[in-house]
Amino acid sequence: MPRVLLLLPTATFRTDAFVAAAENLGVEVTVGSERRNSLAGLNPTGLLTLDFEHPDRAARQAAAFAAEHPIDAVIAVDDQVVLAGAAICQTLGLRHNSLESVMVARDKHRMRHRLRDANVPQPEFTLARFGGDVAACAERVGFPCVVKPLGLAGSKGVIRADDARQLLAAVERLKRILADETERAGDQPTPAAERQTCANTPATDELSFLIEQFVDGPEVALEGILRDGQLEVLAVFDKPDPLDGPFFEETIYVTPSRLPTDTQRQISLRTQQATQALGLTEGPIHAELRNTAAGPVIIEVNARSIGGKCSRVLKFGTGWSLEELIICQALDVDTAWPSRQSQPAGVMMIPTPAAGVLREVRGLADAEDVAGIESVDIVAHSGQFLIPLPEGSIYLGFILARAQTVDRVESALRAAHGRLEFVIEPTSDASCASAVSATESETRATQSVCQSSDGIQQ
Amino acid sequence: MTQQDIAIQGEPVTDAMCRFTVDRPVYPGKAFFFGNEEQAEGSAFAERMFAIPGVKSVLVSDSQVTVHKTGTAEWPVIGKQIGNAIREFLGSGESVVADDVLQNMPSADTIREGVQRVIDEDINPSVAGHGGVVRLIDVVDNVVYIQMGGGCQGCGQADVTLKYGIETSIRGAVAGVGEILDVTDHASGRNPYYVPSKK
Repeated sequence: MPRVLLLLPTATFRTDAFVAAAENLGVEVTVGSERRNSLAGLNPTGLLTLDFEHPDRAARQAAAFAAEHPIDAVIAVDDQVVLAGAAICQTLGLRHNSLESVMVARDKHRMRHRLRDANVPQPEFTLARFGGDVAACAERVGFPCVVKPLGLAGSKGVIRADDARQLLAAVERLKRILADETERAGDQPTPAAERQTCANTPATDELSFLIEQFVDGPEVALEGILRDGQLEVLAVFDKPDPLDGPFFEETIYVTPSRLPTDTQRQISLRTQQATQALGLTEGPIHAELRNTAAGPVIIEVNARSIGGKCSRVLKFGTGWSLEELIICQALDVDTAWPSRQSQPAGVMMIPTPAAGVLREVRGLADAEDVAGIESVDIVAHSGQFLIPLPEGSIYLGFILARAQTVDRVESALRAAHGRLEFVIEPTSDASCASAVSATESETRATQSVCQSSDGIQQ
Repeated sequence: MTQQDIAIQGEPVTDAMCRFTVDRPVYPGKAFFFGNEEQAEGSAFAERMFAIPGVKSVLVSDSQVTVHKTGTAEWPVIGKQIGNAIREFLGSGESVVADDVLQNMPSADTIREGVQRVIDEDINPSVAGHGGVVRLIDVVDNVVYIQMGGGCQGCGQADVTLKYGIETSIRGAVAGVGEILDVTDHASGRNPYYVPSKK
C-alpha cells in the first residue's frame, strides 16, 4: 500500500478533507505537522513533527523517516507548507514542482517579476519599503492602487488606496499588521544557511511590500491540476460580490462560471501561461484573475488547492473529491480526470462583520432550511476573539449550496447568510482597538523609501 | 413477502460513505462492523456485501447498513447491488455474523474494559497536555463510541488525533474492535487547542 505524507499545518481548514480522501483511497498515511501531536508517541509512523519554517530541515527530518518508512507521495495542503513540500520531494526524489518555482509563487514580488518577464498580463507594480517615499512609489502605478504584503494569504493586509492620503494610511496599517505577524511568529529569523538555500529572494521581509495598480473588473478563480506542466482546468468560479476594496474579503464563489465560453477559455490560457512563467509543473493550483475589458489579468497563482472548506463544492465523476484527485496525481495514478459534476454549486465564506468576542450564532436551522443549501458549517467557536480584515484571518464558517442554476445557488447562499446572526461582544482590549484603527496623524508621519519594479534600491 | 417488498433508502453520509436504511431489522438490536473482506469470511451477510466490487467496510446496526466504498467505485452502480444483496440476505434466513466469529469474538464488556484501559493509561495522559480529554461512551457489540472534550472538542486537528492517534492506539491494544465512532459535537467546542485560520 503506498504511503502518503500529508503536510497538515495545525491551523489549516483542510485537515478533514485530506484525511477523508486518504482514507477513501485506502492509502497509508503519515501526517506531518509543525507541532508534535499529543498522541505522536503512540503512533510514531503515523504522526510526524516537521519544521515547516525551515524547509531544508523538514526535508532532512522527512528523509530520516522515509529511510525506514518509504514515502510515495507528499501532499502540501496549504500555503504555509508548500515550500516544505517541495523541499521534501526534492530530497526524496519524488515528482513535484521545483523548489524555485514554489518559492517564486509564494513571493508576490518575485511572482510579479516572472510574469512580467514572460509578458503575462498583470497589474503594474512596484516594491516599496516602510520608511521610504511611498507617494513616489505610487506614481509608478497610479491611483487607485493596492498595498499588498509579500507573503500573507487570504487578503490579509491587502488595502486599496484612491489617493496619497489613503495610501499613507494603508501603509501604516500594513506595517502594524506585519509587526503583529512577526511578534506572533516568535520573531525567529530564518538561519542564514537556510535562507541561502530555500529563501534566496530579494527583500522578501517585513520591511518591504508591494504597491500594485488596482485593476477594474470582476474577479474569477480557477482551480486546476498540473501534470507534466499541462494544466487541467477543474473549475472556474465567478465571485459575484465586487472586490473593489478598501479591503478584499472573499465571500461567494459559484461555478460553473457565467462568463462566455470564450472568456473562460482565455482565463484558462492565461493561467497556463502564468504557471509556465513561474515554472510550476505538478500538482494543484489555485489562480485568481480579474476579467478586464482587455482580457483576463493574473492577480496571483498559488501552488496549492482552494483554501478553507471551499473544496467541498467540487465533486467529480461519481463523487470524487478534489483531495482524492490531488492524492491520485501525487501518486502518479494513471487515470483520466473525471469531469466536475455539472450541477451548479457555490460556497460562501462567511465574513467577520466586526471585531470582538463571538458569543452566539443564531438562525442556523433557518439558514439550513433555505432551498438549495447543502450545509452551513460554522467554524468559529463561542468565545473566540474575532478580527475582521485586513488584520484578521478568520472565517466564521462556510455555506454550501447546489441548485439547478448558478443564479439560484447565489440566491440561496445570500438568503442563508441573511438568516444568520452573529452575536459579537465588542472588546475593550486596547491592542485590538489599535489594530483596527489607524489615525491620520500616524499615517501622515509615515515616510518610506521606494524601489522600482526593476530591482531593489539599496 | 417478496424481495421487492423490502424498502431500502440510501442516504450519503460522505462522498465515500452511504447509509442504507431498511424498513425492517437486518441485525435486530445489535451492531457489527466488518472492516475488510477477511473479517467477512464465513459471515453470509458480509460475504454478500464484500462480493460487490468497491465495498471497503460494512457496519450493520439493527435496520441500518453503512457502507464505505473505495474511491473508484460508483454509488449509482454499487448502490443497487448493495440493495439487492440486502434483499437477498433477508430472504435467505442466514445469520449476519457467523456463529464461530461471535463465539471467538471478545464480549462487549471485554472490549469496553480494554478500550477504557487504553484511554486511561495512554490516550488521556497524552491529550491532557493540550487540555483535552477522551471519554468512552459505549461499546455495542464490537462498535466503540467515543467522545472528545476540552481542547480536543472542535480542535482543527481532531480528525488527525482520532484517526492516527486514538484509533491506532485502541486497535493496537484491543482485539476485536470494529468501528470507532466519534460522537463529539465539535461545533460546540469552546476551547479548541488548534483553531483553523486562513493563513
